[in-house]
Amino acid sequence: MYEINICHLYPDLLNLYGDRGNIICLSKRCEWRGIEVNVKGISIGDDFRWEDYDIIFIGGGQDYEQTILQDDLMNGKRQGIIEAVEAGKVFLAICGGYQILGKYYRTHDGKDIECIGALNLWTHGGDTRLIGNLVFEVDFLKTKDNNGYIVGFENHGGKTYLGEGVKPLGKVIKGFGNNGGDGFEGAVYKNTFCTYSHGSLLPKNPALADHLIMLALLNKYPDFQGLEPIDDTLENLAHSTLIKRFTE
Amino acid sequence: MKKFFVRLRIGIAIIVTKFLVFVLRLLGRGGTSLPGKAALKIYPELLSVLSDRFRVIMITGTNGKTTTSRIVAGMLDQAGIRYVSNKSGANLSSGIATTIVSALSLSGKPLVRTVLLETDEAAFRTVAPMLKPEIAIVTNFFRDQLDRYGELYTTLNNVREGIKGTPETRLILNADDSLCASLGRDVPNQVIYFGLGDNVYPEDFVKANTDAAFCINCKSRYDYISSSFGHLGHFRCPSCGYERPGAQIECTQILEYDNLSSTIEIRTPSGKITAKLALPGLYNIYNALAGTAVGHLLELGENDLVRVLEGFECGFGRMESFEAEGRTFRMILVKNPTGFNQVLRYLMTQADKCVIAFIINDRIADGTDISWLWDVDFEILSFILKKVRKFYVSGIRAEDMAVRLKYAGVPQDSIFIEHDGNKLINSMIEASGEKENLYILPTYTAMLDIRKTLRERFNLKEFWK
Repeated sequence: MYEINICHLYPDLLNLYGDRGNIICLSKRCEWRGIEVNVKGISIGDDFRWEDYDIIFIGGGQDYEQTILQDDLMNGKRQGIIEAVEAGKVFLAICGGYQILGKYYRTHDGKDIECIGALNLWTHGGDTRLIGNLVFEVDFLKTKDNNGYIVGFENHGGKTYLGEGVKPLGKVIKGFGNNGGDGFEGAVYKNTFCTYSHGSLLPKNPALADHLIMLALLNKYPDFQGLEPIDDTLENLAHSTLIKRFTE
Repeated sequence: MKKFFVRLRIGIAIIVTKFLVFVLRLLGRGGTSLPGKAALKIYPELLSVLSDRFRVIMITGTNGKTTTSRIVAGMLDQAGIRYVSNKSGANLSSGIATTIVSALSLSGKPLVRTVLLETDEAAFRTVAPMLKPEIAIVTNFFRDQLDRYGELYTTLNNVREGIKGTPETRLILNADDSLCASLGRDVPNQVIYFGLGDNVYPEDFVKANTDAAFCINCKSRYDYISSSFGHLGHFRCPSCGYERPGAQIECTQILEYDNLSSTIEIRTPSGKITAKLALPGLYNIYNALAGTAVGHLLELGENDLVRVLEGFECGFGRMESFEAEGRTFRMILVKNPTGFNQVLRYLMTQADKCVIAFIINDRIADGTDISWLWDVDFEILSFILKKVRKFYVSGIRAEDMAVRLKYAGVPQDSIFIEHDGNKLINSMIEASGEKENLYILPTYTAMLDIRKTLRERFNLKEFWK
């Protein structure tokens, strides 16, 4: 029997906008297929042994809470996170978690706050927040029955720019995306996926959820043959209803 | 001369406001915000200038403002004090200005001396220093429509700034809320705290504290001696020592607790009282405590306090019920995770078979971001799956809600999507038996829609009281 270990980084601090729905979604979709799932929350002061996990998740938090974990992150878990990303662990980072993985965050008044630097990207704080429903098109999710669209909700003050070696996750169809300027959304590097889309992201984008589970299983079980389909009637209905509403 | 012009502008502002209220009512419109907006345009300092003509009581906080206002209104009635108060949904500066002007005669003389104001947290920042309230109640701080104000700490700061401008105001604060209680530290104001006694209602459903797990002063993780719900409880910071303050108004025992009411014992500085609240849920116990604190300040006797607490009815949309087709419809507004969790916990007390409908909209008044549905613990529905005949989902975001229920462990074949309000009501009736409860849990604009449908369907007049 297959087994997936999920690590939720700072679940008690980075827990804005229902991002825990992503963990619920990954767990359930494994469970429904008979894949055993263990979820562990790793927070301030906890040991982070990245080798123990198959999927690592980091969400966004309020500013105050992000300052609380700054020290634990920069002087503690930073190295582990960089190693995990480089080793090709499946990593999902949303909003504040996305920004944290980059090199720095330049505040509104021009101060640079150093970030982990696991990915070659950076963020500049803007004067207005980019808020609203977000639809973007992801190439690797395209199949003959699937246009690769992802739907979510974005709410961020920072504008993120990608450097060499990091590719955008998708092309914006509706909304702002990374910076409201270049038409791209999110970032991909090895098996690390970053996005501004919460809402929650995975439950109503089951193709992306399954893609992450599949990559994690491939990493761990070289003989893994592929995921069994499950009944996604409700998920697909939610997905298509929203895409239709926001793109027509 | 300058004084003359000030008086002239006040006079014009009052007349214009009253005229607009009159016209809007003739047109059958509510007229709660626009007249005040015009008044503030004509004379922006209006509230400051008028403040010394009134004794103002303000109520702010993310949850429970309306119900608490109702209870405080009951306390004022009981004390024989005449007052005016603002309508729910008119709690910004414009609505407040309309209300203040309604308390004045055309010549600017106060018709009543007391004004009770439910106040939006962001509006509190500017309005409180202008009105210099005699009493300000802050109910709690939970995440609520984050897309509106950015984040919880911004909301808290708004209220803190408001308090800074009113050192004479007597504050009534929630002792069990580490964020709310912090407003009473290092301020010159007189503070009265209310809260639940230690272990009066220990948390029984597992729930991570997500709103404020870390000390507001030193960022260490709080220890909890006991907790009631959300981040409310007897907290203590092991590092800097910030802890739940002692409460002068404290619920010392919950004697009965079911799906319609709770009977509680309250200790006040003048003695103990026992009251049966006609509202269910732990959150209403907190609202009752806040109201009792005002009653205490008004020097109401024990019997008077009990009479008010036992006599009040539901606020606008908070929980309303009526009988039709041999069933009992019960409608409860849901608007943020904490409130929703409390409603779900209330459903846990359901003894017989029932039908539940969730109606979720994402219009501006509901919050355009419905991510918060994933912060609600629908997982506890597994405790009552056998009692719920069917789950209906409706509203603009019906499909999102269906997915949320599925991932919370509700079997897919008991989830039904029904967008049409009339069909929804019919299906709920068909799915249920005589005398059963039909629960409708709508977001704000969904509540307005479904109420209209219900009113037409059953020829109801104003069933919400």
